[in-house]
Amino acid sequence: MAEPFIIETADLRKRYDGVEAVRGLNLQVPAGSIYGFLGRNGAGKTTTIKMLLGMVRPTSGRASVFGLAADAQETSVEIRRRTGFVSENKDLYDAMTVDEIVRFTASFYPGWRPDLQQRYLRAFELPLHQKVKQLSRGGRTKLALALALCRGARLLVLDEPTSGLDPSMIEEVLQALVSHVAGEEMTVFFSSHQIAEVEQIADHVAIIDRGHAVLSGELDTLRERFRRIQLVFDGDAPQMAFRAAGVVRVDRNGRVLTVLSSAGADAVLDEARALSPVSTDVAPVTLKEIFLETVAVED
Amino acid sequence: MLWHKSWLDTRWRFLIGLALLTMSAFGIVLFHPDLMQLVPLASTVQGNGAFGRQIREGAELMRDYRGYIWSQWFQQTPTQLGTLFATLLGTGGLVSQPFGGGELFMLSLPASRNRLLGVRAATGLAEWLVLAVVPSLFIPLLSPAVDQTYSVGSALVHGVCLFAAGALFFSMALLLSTIFDDVWRPLLIVLCAAFVSAILGQVARGLSPFTLMSGEVYFRTGSVPWSGLITASAASAAMVYAASVSLARRDF
Repeated sequence: MAEPFIIETADLRKRYDGVEAVRGLNLQVPAGSIYGFLGRNGAGKTTTIKMLLGMVRPTSGRASVFGLAADAQETSVEIRRRTGFVSENKDLYDAMTVDEIVRFTASFYPGWRPDLQQRYLRAFELPLHQKVKQLSRGGRTKLALALALCRGARLLVLDEPTSGLDPSMIEEVLQALVSHVAGEEMTVFFSSHQIAEVEQIADHVAIIDRGHAVLSGELDTLRERFRRIQLVFDGDAPQMAFRAAGVVRVDRNGRVLTVLSSAGADAVLDEARALSPVSTDVAPVTLKEIFLETVAVED
Repeated sequence: MLWHKSWLDTRWRFLIGLALLTMSAFGIVLFHPDLMQLVPLASTVQGNGAFGRQIREGAELMRDYRGYIWSQWFQQTPTQLGTLFATLLGTGGLVSQPFGGGELFMLSLPASRNRLLGVRAATGLAEWLVLAVVPSLFIPLLSPAVDQTYSVGSALVHGVCLFAAGALFFSMALLLSTIFDDVWRPLLIVLCAAFVSAILGQVARGLSPFTLMSGEVYFRTGSVPWSGLITASAASAAMVYAASVSLARRDF
């Protein structure tokens, strides 16, 4: 039976020299999803990814991929056999040519896809006989992505896949990713601090801040749940502590009271009626606003 | 393909070492007639110090071809250059990839760290074996060119002694390369250790790996120094094992 969650972590922690990079992270990445792992620089995204792929050992807690323990050497090899990975720095073996690194990588994967290899080498216009170190930043990203896509992997783990690229290159990379996923049965877990690209391709999202997930779920559901409710009063807006569940933030500014709710607007509106506002307005919230608000609450 | 990558990582160090050691072996054999003309001069060196004594002993050894080859070749070039190249071959690897980077790329592949280290160690040791044995084998091959003979068996025994003792420096460099992120600290630490053991060898010859490296016991007694070979091999194996433990515990 296929696992409902491709990646699961429970109270995952990593401490480096007294600094806790990941603090009790709980994640569940559904099979078949495009999962955006959103967070500021230094939030713990890369450390989490490295723990999932066996590059970093967790201090405590549990991480599993495909139901296999990520911190055991044997199962970690099996996880990597089924996973395509692109690191933040597009870490590749510089001394090889494009052709050599393709053949080198292919030799590790029984399910290597020559058809995809041909397709992506052509689509990304990668010069076969050029050394990897001579490739541009964009060329390097495309090569790293091609090497990850051709593995016949069921999971793609991408750490800031578009960092350092210009807008047209970002678009090209994201398009390639989306069209690949559309044709293959796979899960994509990608970290980013670029909200726009997460919003563009992800269907699930987790926001991580200071090493733990402050928010996670289906993107559409999050968008449905989050509401900004604006209450306008005759005089100065009253001081009010809302009892409704999901109130993230309350701002008073003159006659206006603004409430950000992560559980819809109804409960807040019910409670606000007792204050007799002269007008109420409920507005949807963008992912950027959700991100900024949840991270700001943490601050 | 891991083997191929490992070869790409180390090939220049290996090829430069092979070229230098081979040229040195050629020089030692082909310059034999010229150097022999200097032997009478060396015999006249006065002085009771260790240095004067070593020169006179060297001159004495050079009176026969076997002694000349040992004192001018096995006791010198391979132990000095060999130590350097065994150490160079042991440095680098997964943690501190000096040529080409790619540690996260390597770690993302479905190969265990033990396998990565094992292939790296095996490639380096194979290259070191070639450096230790092949230039030595040129000596019996070239000796007829200067109207001399040298036994292939002796060259092989000396090559094996060189390999076993040099493997100590290789393994130490391999171990330190799993601890430090750069190539320089492992290199410098091992070369310092070699320097200290060379000084130690002046005081207690049996405790220095250079005594085994030069094959002195074999040269003087004709018997293969099995205890030294076994001890050095065991110590090297222990350091390679320690490297695998260190690598397994490491965060990248």
